[in-house]
Formats: sequence, C-alpha cells, structure tokens
Amino acid sequence: MASVTVRDLHKKFGETHILKGVSIEVPRGKFAVLVGPSGCGKSTLLRLLAGLEEATAGTIHFDDRDVTSLAPRERDIAMVFQSYALYPHLSVRENMAFGLKLRKTEPAEIERRVKQASAMLGLDHLLDRLPKQLSGGQRQRVAMGRAIVRRPSLFLFDEPLSNLDAALRSQVRVEIRKVHDELEATSVYVTHDQVEAMTLADVIFVLNKGVVEQAGHPLDVYARPATRFVASFLGSPSMNFIDVELARDGGGWVAAGKDELRVTFDAKGFEKGLVAGKQVTLGVRPHEVELFSKSATYRTTNERGAPLTVSIVEALGTESFAHGKLGGASFVARLDAAAQIKKGETVELAFKTVHLFDRETGQSLRDEA
Amino acid sequence: MLSVPRNTPFIKKVWLWAVTFFIATFVYPTLVYANPIRLWHAYRGDEEKALLEIIKTFPGGKIETLALPADALDSKLASASLVGEGPDVFIAEHHHLGEYKARSIVGKVGDAFEGEGAFIVPAVRAVTDGDGVWGVPLSPKCMALFVNDDLAKTPADFEAIGELTGKLPQGVFPLVYEARNLYAHAPIFGAFGGELLGKNDQWSFIGTEAETSLNLARTFIAKGAVPDDANYNILKELFKAGKAAFVISGPWLAADLSDAKDLRYHIEVLPNIRGAGQPMRPLLTVESAMLTKQGAEKPEARALAKWLASREAAQVRARLAKTLTARSDVSIADGDPMLRVFSEQAKVAIPMPASRAMQAVWDPANRAISKVIRGEAPPDVALAEAKRRYDTVRRPPPDAASPTPFLIVIGGILLVLVLYWVRGAKKGDFTGEVKRSLPAYAYVIHSVVAVGLLVIAPLTVGAATAFFSGNLFGDTSSRRFVGLANFIDILTAQGGALLTTGSFYVVLLVTLLWTFLNLFFHVTIGVSLALLLSKPALKLKAFYRVLLIVPWAVPSYITALVWKGMFDRQFGAVTGLILGLNDLFGFHMEPISWFARFSTAFTANVSTNVWLGFPVMMVVTLGALTAVPQDVLEAAEVDGATRWQRLWRVTLPMIRPTLAPSVTLGGIWTFNMFNVVFLVSGGDPDGTTDILVSEAYRWAFTREAKYGYAAAYSVLIFLMLFGFTRWDEWRKKRADDRDRAVRAKEAAA
Repeated sequence: MASVTVRDLHKKFGETHILKGVSIEVPRGKFAVLVGPSGCGKSTLLRLLAGLEEATAGTIHFDDRDVTSLAPRERDIAMVFQSYALYPHLSVRENMAFGLKLRKTEPAEIERRVKQASAMLGLDHLLDRLPKQLSGGQRQRVAMGRAIVRRPSLFLFDEPLSNLDAALRSQVRVEIRKVHDELEATSVYVTHDQVEAMTLADVIFVLNKGVVEQAGHPLDVYARPATRFVASFLGSPSMNFIDVELARDGGGWVAAGKDELRVTFDAKGFEKGLVAGKQVTLGVRPHEVELFSKSATYRTTNERGAPLTVSIVEALGTESFAHGKLGGASFVARLDAAAQIKKGETVELAFKTVHLFDRETGQSLRDEA
Repeated sequence: MLSVPRNTPFIKKVWLWAVTFFIATFVYPTLVYANPIRLWHAYRGDEEKALLEIIKTFPGGKIETLALPADALDSKLASASLVGEGPDVFIAEHHHLGEYKARSIVGKVGDAFEGEGAFIVPAVRAVTDGDGVWGVPLSPKCMALFVNDDLAKTPADFEAIGELTGKLPQGVFPLVYEARNLYAHAPIFGAFGGELLGKNDQWSFIGTEAETSLNLARTFIAKGAVPDDANYNILKELFKAGKAAFVISGPWLAADLSDAKDLRYHIEVLPNIRGAGQPMRPLLTVESAMLTKQGAEKPEARALAKWLASREAAQVRARLAKTLTARSDVSIADGDPMLRVFSEQAKVAIPMPASRAMQAVWDPANRAISKVIRGEAPPDVALAEAKRRYDTVRRPPPDAASPTPFLIVIGGILLVLVLYWVRGAKKGDFTGEVKRSLPAYAYVIHSVVAVGLLVIAPLTVGAATAFFSGNLFGDTSSRRFVGLANFIDILTAQGGALLTTGSFYVVLLVTLLWTFLNLFFHVTIGVSLALLLSKPALKLKAFYRVLLIVPWAVPSYITALVWKGMFDRQFGAVTGLILGLNDLFGFHMEPISWFARFSTAFTANVSTNVWLGFPVMMVVTLGALTAVPQDVLEAAEVDGATRWQRLWRVTLPMIRPTLAPSVTLGGIWTFNMFNVVFLVSGGDPDGTTDILVSEAYRWAFTREAKYGYAAAYSVLIFLMLFGFTRWDEWRKKRADDRDRAVRAKEAAA
C-alpha cells in the first residue's frame, strides 16, 4: 500500500486548462473520493494518477517515489473503468489473469490469486464465460477482480457504478467498500454521485473548475462546507440559499431578507466574519428546518418563524418536501409527513442550523475549525 | 404466351386459335423470307466505306449490313446461328473456317466462286478443302519486310540481316519481329519447307526443319540481333524510333506508321534464307466472303458473295481502302508499291491451316519457341514437349458412357428427397401450413425466379457440361455423354505422371501457394497500414487513406496490364530502376527476365495481386479498429502491457472476428483470381504459374473448346471452395457449441 501525494498539478489540453494546481494527500490504506460536477477535472486527475495522461506541471508521488513521468505499468496501480473495459475475447479467468501473465507470474500463483479474488467477489461459477455472457453487475465485479488479483499499491476507480441500475449500485457500493477494507488498499475513487462519495470515502475531495474546493472527512465537509459550491453540491435536495443582510440584534446577530425575513442566530463559530450591514448568502439545508412552534426554543429563530409560501408538496410517505418561496428565493423544506402541509399554505419554519457565505467569493463565513 | 380471356364464347376461342395458327405457319416465314440479304462484317473506316460503295452498285436485291467488332463477330455468329437469326453472308478470315464448319455455321459457296483461275493460288488453297470451297477470297494478308531506309538497304538474305549486328548505331537492332510468336516465326519455318499441320491434323512443327528454324532464330537472339520479347507494340515503337533496321510485320503496321512523318522506310518481299536456299514464306490469312447455311441456299446471297469478290469490287477496295485483292486478274496501280509488294509476298505465302486443330497449335508452339529462344531447352526437347501437349489436347474424346448409372443415382437422390418430403408432409398439418404460407410465396417468387435463372440454372448447366464432351449446343453431332471420364482424366493427370507441369495436382499446389502467399501479404500489409492510419496523431490522414485505396479503385485488369508492362525485361520500369541504380551506385545488376523462371514470374503475379488486394483488408481493418474501445486498450496499459503486447494480445484478437469473413472471402477470390494470372504472367514460363481457373480457361478457349473438360475443372474448383467454406462454418459452429456446452454445465452446477 502506498500513500498518494499530488502537488500543484496542472493539466492543459491545448488551450483548455483542466487542472489548475491541484494538491491532494491520500494516506496509506485510505479510501479517497474525488467528487465534483462534470468537467471539474476529477477524471483527468485520476487518469494522471494512472499515468494515462501526462502532467503539464506539478508532481505525483506514491510514498516517496516520484511517478509523475512513469508509464502506467511502472506505477503498480490497478484501475476499474466506468465501462469495465474487459477484454471481450478473453474469459473471466483470462481477464483476471491478464496482468499477472504479462508480469510472468507463476501459473500456480495466478490460479491461486484468481480463485481467491473470484471467491471474494462471488465469481467462481463464471470463470469460463466471456464478458458478453455476463450481466452488468457481474462485469463490474470481474473488472474489480482484475484489479484485485494484481495486488497493486493503489486502486483507481473511474465512476465504476454509473452504468449499473440503482438497486445494483447500492449493493456493489457496499461490496467495494468491503473489498477495500479487506485488502486495506489505498483507493482513489471518482464519482459525481454524492451518495457514493459520502458513503465510501475516508477522505473526500470536492473539485470544481480544476481546483480542490474542499478536502476532508465527508461528514465534516457536509456539516461545514467551506464554500457555497461545496454546500450546494453535497446534500440532496440541495441547500437553500437566500440573500440577506447582517445586522446586530442586541447581543446576537440577525440576518434580514426580503418578505420580512428575520433570522436571528447564534454567532458562535462565526465571530470573525460577521460585519453589520454586510450582504451575505444565508444557507439552509432542507433537512435542517422544522415547523415553527412557539413553545420550542431555537438557537436561530426569534419569536416568529420564517414564512414559506408553499407552491408544491412532494409527499414521500414518512416525509414531505415543501417547495415554495422564502425570503425572495426558492426554498425546499423537508417536513414531517404528519404535518399535512397543503399547496398554497404559508407555513412558518424554524432553522436548526444556518450557513453563511460571502456573497462575492462564496467562501464560508464560519471560523476555521 | 398467348392467353385467351376466360369468359370468351367458345366459337370466338376457336377463331382466335385459328388465326394465330395461320400467322405462325404461313405469314411469319414469308415475312422473314422477304427480308433483305443480311451481311455481317467487321470493317471500319476506309474498308467499311469501300464495302458500302461496292454494295451500292450490287445489281440484285436489298442488303442490310451490320458492322461488328472483330472479336464479337465469332461469338455473335455462333449464337445467332443457333436460333436461325444469323446473316446470309459474312466476311471473316479464312482460318476460322474449320471452327465455322464444326459449328455448322458455314455452307459451301457454290456458284459464288468464279473459279480457280480468278484468284491467286494460295488464296484458293486457303478456302478449299476436301469437301469443296467454303469461302470466296477477298483479300489476302501476310507479313513482309519493312526496311528503315536510313539504316539499311535491301539485304542479300536473312542471315545478312543478322550480320549487321554491331555495325549499326548504338541501341539499334538489326531486326525486330515477335520472336516468341509462332505467327512471326512461321516465315522462317516456311523457308525450310515446314508445315504447321500434317495430314489428319497431325502436329508437324517438329523434326529437322522445325529444329533448324528454331536454331536460326536462337542464334539471332543469342547474338543480340533480335530482342527476345518484342510484342507488336514494342516492335512498332522501335521501328518508329529508328531503333530497328528491319522489322517483319503485316500491312497493319503500315497503317500504324502513317503518323511517323520523319521515318523513311519501304516494304519488301521477305528475303531468302541462305541455309535453306528458299525464300521466307509467311502465313497467309485470306479475308473471305462466307455464306451461312441459310445464305448458301439463297441465290441472291450467293450473288452478293460473288459480287463482293468481283473485279469491280477489288478495284473499289484498292482505290478507297488500299486493300490487296485475292484476284489474280486485277493489276495493281503503279503508284502503289506497298500493295505490289504484299501482292508478291502473298503469292509465296502459305495459307494458314483452316482446320479447327490449329487452335490447339498456338499455345504449345509459342511455349516451345519461347523456351528455345531463351535457351531453356534445345529445340528437339521443346518441340517434343509441345507435340505431347498438342496430342493431349487433341486426343480423341473419351468413349461415350452409358448414362444409366447416373440416371439411377440421380433418380435415387430425387426419390430420397421426395420420401423425405412426404414424411415431412405427413407430420402435422402440412397442407394447412402450405396454405397459410402461400401469400408469403408471392413476395419471394420474383427473386426465386431471378436467382434461379441467373445463378442456379447456369450453375447447373455448367456442372452438367462436365459430364459431356463435344459441343453441348449448336451442332451437337459431336456431343456425347462421357460420365466421369473428364474428372478421371483430370484427376489422373491424363494418364501421365501426377506431378508434371500442368497436371491438376501441380496446378492445385501452385494455386494453394498463390492463395496462401497473397492472403498473408494482404492481411499483414492491410492491417499494418490500417494501424498506422488509425493513429490519432497522424497528419494528412484522409489524403493517405484515399491514396491507399486507389489500387482498389482502378479496374484490376488495367492494373494487371500496367504491372506486366513494368516487369518487361527490356522496356519495363523495374529494369529501368535496376539500370538507374547501376548508373547511380555503380552496381552490376542484370535486368531480370521476370517471366523466364517460375520463381520470378510467380513473384510478379503475387506482387501485382498484393497491390490489388491489400486495400480491402486495410479498409476492413480500419472499420474493425473503430470498434476497439479506447478504454480496453488503456486497461491493458494499466495492466502492464507494452505497445506490442497491446497490439498482439488485445487489438488483433479483438478485430479478428470482423476480419475473419473478409479473409475467407479474400481466400476464395484469390483462389479464383483469373485476371492477374492471365494478364501478368499468362502462365509463363511454360504454364507453371497457371492456377486452376486460368487452366480451366485454357481448356475452354485455347485448346479446341474442350468445354466439358473445362467445366470439370470448374466443378472441382467449386467443390473445393464449397468444402472449404463448409469446413470453416463447421469449425465456427463447433467452437460455438463448445461455448454453449460450457455454459450449460455452469447452469447445471
């Protein structure tokens, strides 16, 4: 197993600047997920790690070894492709053994490792089939098997689940994590799916427009997004954003917006960034609201709730999503289904947590943790 | 088909049938008979003008003329006479008479022939045989000596021409003639008194006269007095360019020299041969008016034939077309020395034998001459071999076999099929099924008929031909059922050694070698180029792709002829290249006589066909390569494969399924690639580079129309290719079955 250190990596395709100085650090045996929207450079970064692309500038180290200019086969890595990229003319067994054969591994050893891997992945009975005779999920597992038998110092996954249907996806997702834990391998995993990112990762790197916006443990990143982009990217439905102005309110602070929106909040954790009269963006996750109740005490709201005019209600059984306008912006709130909200109603909401972002830079106003 | 509306009253039906019968029996034949006399010819230009002029003054009856290309005349005559639609009179050269007689195309000319006195002796001999006179001589043609006045004067004799070697300017040949061609060699042979065919069509280009004539030709070539591989075009160009003091050729050359303004030349009668003490005697062909069987019965047609050969006509022809007449009583204008010379020459010329057997003489004789003048064999050996070849072709057709066993076998097969069918019919609701599927038949019937007529029927007839000898159509008097005799003959190499040149097995080996080598190069070159072209970094890709497809786009026979030209020893581009290299680097490479040895001739054929064939493989491979996903190659790269390993272990196996059908097809095409073999080496040397199809062609078209024999070859070729494709299918199916079995086993487990 190796650690991965990327320093100030740049990649240009002609005039297009895909990666603009990316630095990441994946400790040994950790599962790193690169997440971001399409075109953010996450797949390019992965291909650079694999050696399939050449870096324009910057360095890549596996442990202390500089691999920046090495060919893929000199890097001791294995990669699982989005399309599985199995060799269609070779059986499952031969697909898995391919890399070992090229490395002139002993046949007995090859056989042993293939057996082991196929047992781990439940492929034993498929070893003599050709890829075209397999289902999508089986192919996916063969692709994994092909990576596993190699026992590389680094696993790379390029959106390996995106060609699977939803049910299979969650199943294989669990398997991937299980395999990782069993092998204690260092893995770098690319996805645009935040659920995968959240569930799989030990460390998550959110990429946007060729730079790393935030890195860290997924729950930390979710709870304390460093930028408005990260906040909007992680979480489903996405975080609500409302333009507000900051003001002092006695000992505390209040964020005032349109439609008589006044949200008082606890200034703890925001001390440095708060300036009276500053135009900021208020962020509230749909899951961090509830119906305002006079009897309850809130850290964030004053005697009135924030009024949400409901235009659509999506009832999902245990919970409902109420869509509407709040403070002049569109707003989604997750509410208990028992509340029986109706279309056209105006409900008062209480916010359990709020996030504040600089209107210009998108940076969080939260103090560094 | 004549159809009668269904609800017409009975009496009307009778009337309709009666009228139809009357027209068919009486009116139609008279209408046909009232037609004008039909005259077919192959004239063009001045000669056609002269003919029309002659016809204009014909006193009796209306004439309808049809001009055909010379090579189409024969086949058109044969096919038209089958259905009685041929001409009454046609003009052709006399040496086809044997063939026409065998095919019952011609009739005796009867009173159209004015009498022996009216024509020169050789011309009369040309159109006469034991049975009578078969054509009215119009115009004789033979070779004579063309002399370049700037280079030489009238030679004392033939040998004196050879003695000019070394005394002429650099690069000038004393003499140029088509030395490898029997027609051009015949004047020498004739001087020694030789004849091409003996009594009863025996091979007689053998013995002392023939050997002496060949030795003489060989000495000329050995000392460089004559180029050894001149064809008509080379001869013409050399003479035009002043690179030949003398050439031996016919009046056609004079016509082709009309644009060479600076060339001063005259024509002379061929000289004596010192060693023989006799003049050279060229072969004479006599253009004659011939009558078809139907024409021979019509007085007007006979009168036309006579008119065409009349004195008046001869004069018109001499005036308008400068054509020599076969008449002895027409004097030639003083102003025309050329006609005078050819007229003199014709008088000593030997009429080309008109016998059908002559067809079988050319090929073996030409091969023997080639061998001798190239010094590959002494004359006696080469001629004995030629005689053997001729005798093989001419040997009597196999005995008629009783068709009974065949009919029994065929009947048995049909019976089994019927039984099988009946058994199927008994099972289940057969009639109901047929009824239900009837509408479907309406949709496919036209293609069934088309395929049946255009593919199945010819194939069946062709295959059936293999069981016969003689003419299958037309005059069928020689036709007889011979059973498997043709096949047995072929498979036992005509009773000779199984592995001699030209035996089925040797030709088969050559064909297999030919197919294998070609496919190997097609695939390797095609795939390599496709791999180069598919490199994304390559610039001008579209341009290269077009350039590399060009060999494919040019018609193959043109390419073949161009390559043959390039391989010409004296004037070809390859020789030019060798000489250029010699000049540049001081090498001492000899120009290669490509078609003198099997290895080089075969190489020339293979190179030509490789040139023709690689683009297909390249295009197919380019297509297949687009189906190789980039990420599979990347996966291999990550797996640790080098560039070569990716090519061998991933790319090639992945394109193999797409390539396989093309390779199979390519194999079949190459196996039957007639064009290249026929046009480039033409079987040279000595038929060794012939493949099975070109051998079949030779049996059908250069060896006395042994169609049955040729058909037997074709059937054998068909069976082999059919067997090959079946085997290929079976192999694939077996692999599939194995695959399925594995899966079934897994499923069970």
